[in-house]
Amino acid sequence: MNRRLRSLLGIFGRRFVPTMVLIVSFLFFLAPLVTLARFSLQNVPTILLGWSTLFDKWSLSGLTRAFSDPNFWPSLSLTLRLTLGTVALTMLVVVPTAIWVHLRLPRLRSTIEFLTLLPYMIPAIAMVAGIVVVKPHVRWFLNSDLSLIPFYAVLALPFTYRSIDAGLRAIPLRVLVDASRSLGGGLASTIMKVLVPNLRAALISASFLTAAVVIGEFTIANTLLKETLPRFQATYVGREPQGGYGLNLLAILVTVALFVILNRLTRRKTTPRRPYLTHDSSFEEQPRATTLIGEGL
Amino acid sequence: MTTLRFDDIRKTFGTTVALEEFSLDVREGELVSLLGPSGCGKTTALRVAAGFETGDRGSVHLSGNEITRVPAHKRNMGMVFQSYSLFPNLSVAQNVEFGLRTRKVRTEERRRRTMAVLDLVQLASLADRYPHQLSGGQQQRVALARALAIEPAVLLLDEPLSALDAKVRTTLRDEIRRIQTEIGTTTLFVTHDQEEALTISDRIAVMSEGRIEQLGTPMQIYRQPSSGFVARFIGSLNEIPAISKGPGRIEVAGRDYAVDHTHPIGASLSLLIRPEDTRLDPTGFAGTVVNSHFQGAATRIVVRVDTIDSLVEVHGVGDDLTSLQPGARTAVDFERSRAVCEARSI
Repeated sequence: MNRRLRSLLGIFGRRFVPTMVLIVSFLFFLAPLVTLARFSLQNVPTILLGWSTLFDKWSLSGLTRAFSDPNFWPSLSLTLRLTLGTVALTMLVVVPTAIWVHLRLPRLRSTIEFLTLLPYMIPAIAMVAGIVVVKPHVRWFLNSDLSLIPFYAVLALPFTYRSIDAGLRAIPLRVLVDASRSLGGGLASTIMKVLVPNLRAALISASFLTAAVVIGEFTIANTLLKETLPRFQATYVGREPQGGYGLNLLAILVTVALFVILNRLTRRKTTPRRPYLTHDSSFEEQPRATTLIGEGL
Repeated sequence: MTTLRFDDIRKTFGTTVALEEFSLDVREGELVSLLGPSGCGKTTALRVAAGFETGDRGSVHLSGNEITRVPAHKRNMGMVFQSYSLFPNLSVAQNVEFGLRTRKVRTEERRRRTMAVLDLVQLASLADRYPHQLSGGQQQRVALARALAIEPAVLLLDEPLSALDAKVRTTLRDEIRRIQTEIGTTTLFVTHDQEEALTISDRIAVMSEGRIEQLGTPMQIYRQPSSGFVARFIGSLNEIPAISKGPGRIEVAGRDYAVDHTHPIGASLSLLIRPEDTRLDPTGFAGTVVNSHFQGAATRIVVRVDTIDSLVEVHGVGDDLTSLQPGARTAVDFERSRAVCEARSI
């Protein structure tokens, strides 16, 4: 094999193959979205959807009809409240637990990890069966729309715990806690001022994953007869397929937007919001020797 | 007056004894180093002082007041850690301010003290940088400034130089000593580096298996080691087999020497002697040079002595040493007044 051919094959392997993998992956994810968009946003009979009608009769009428349904906004409102409540409960329970396990019970880490996986391994319908058994005894609690919050927190546990656990593994937890304590930081101040800001990426992703679980959960809401957005979507799709799938498309786009925001929010800062040196000009200019020593070390 | 006293501390982790009968007085303004191999309990002692660990027995006193049960955040002790411990989400100035904020120091005073300590460690110009924008040495200096900003009763330094490269380590070591002397803070310094401890300390506590083997000035520790462990741990050492001829006298390869010891007649001994207390001497023990290293300021040669079953290391300066190459014949002797005898395990 001559050198020129080997060089061409090298370029093919290094550039062409990865580019093709990216393009194929992109199309794999994009194709269903495009077909979903065409079905829900084009006023063209499904049988006629093809290349020739690609730009015909695009309209948001299906979506606006869904928005004007009297059950849409209450179900959206309930789902948003459930999302906020589940995120809050998760943060209040899972974050301190994960920190405690990392600091005080590191040997139990794998056991806790296994326990948090259980909601993923056991189907939601099993939890529903459990709820049905206890329902007569806790009817006062289950009557509230927000009673779904603890169930959703449990369902989201496999994702939230892993995310927070990964965040804790990525920082020198013990050293940061010890440093804060040696500087006079109590437990609350150490968690709020030192750990939470350094776990920001993990906490944001845990929150978004929790939101994704809540926005997509149907089984438990249906059993407890709560009018959440997924339940509304399920019934609405039966009545108005175009608007119903339009809502699904919108949910996917909102999720993508959330992840873009997540990416922006978790970037590392390089300049403080309120620079220190500009507050007091006397410290702006340093003697040359000082600067050199400072840079050298 | 700030003093720190450990009184008969015992600390165990499961079945491992980390500290045993650990007692130490650190005087006001003094820098005491805890020196020892890994796992000897020196960091545990520091963490007991800081309040991160509580002894199973014994007490800790700060300026005469018992603080054994006082939580870490109320002890007013500044600590610098081995690994970089700056808060990544805060800038240099915000890191230094952290301890002052927890103490609710007023804004102007906080700013003044922050810039003063940053000036002290010569990093005021980097106040707005974030930890990830600093080198390792700069991060440790900010950590030092942060610990000093709270005007701690005691400064605790847990191997703060061990993650740095050799040149930065030396510079920062000298800087720590300069600052400590300048502000006179009582300081406990943990290290496993003998040279670091000898250079920086007022006194050194050499530790082994949770106990203090010897406490003394760097000169005492080096020149008058109380045990074979201390002698071996600090600096290089020649171990020459000897036989006791009664208290105060020994025999080495058929020659009698006067060396201070109390071992009974006939006891097998090891004569411990520093390479720099060993010298070339035509009337000494004849041998062959097996190794020769020119080290710039000094030369180190290793001699296999004909009549002794061991290698003898000689450190020194001068052409007589540098001219000796492996295979050359020479003779060595040692400074008896600086030799230490210990029973030899056979």
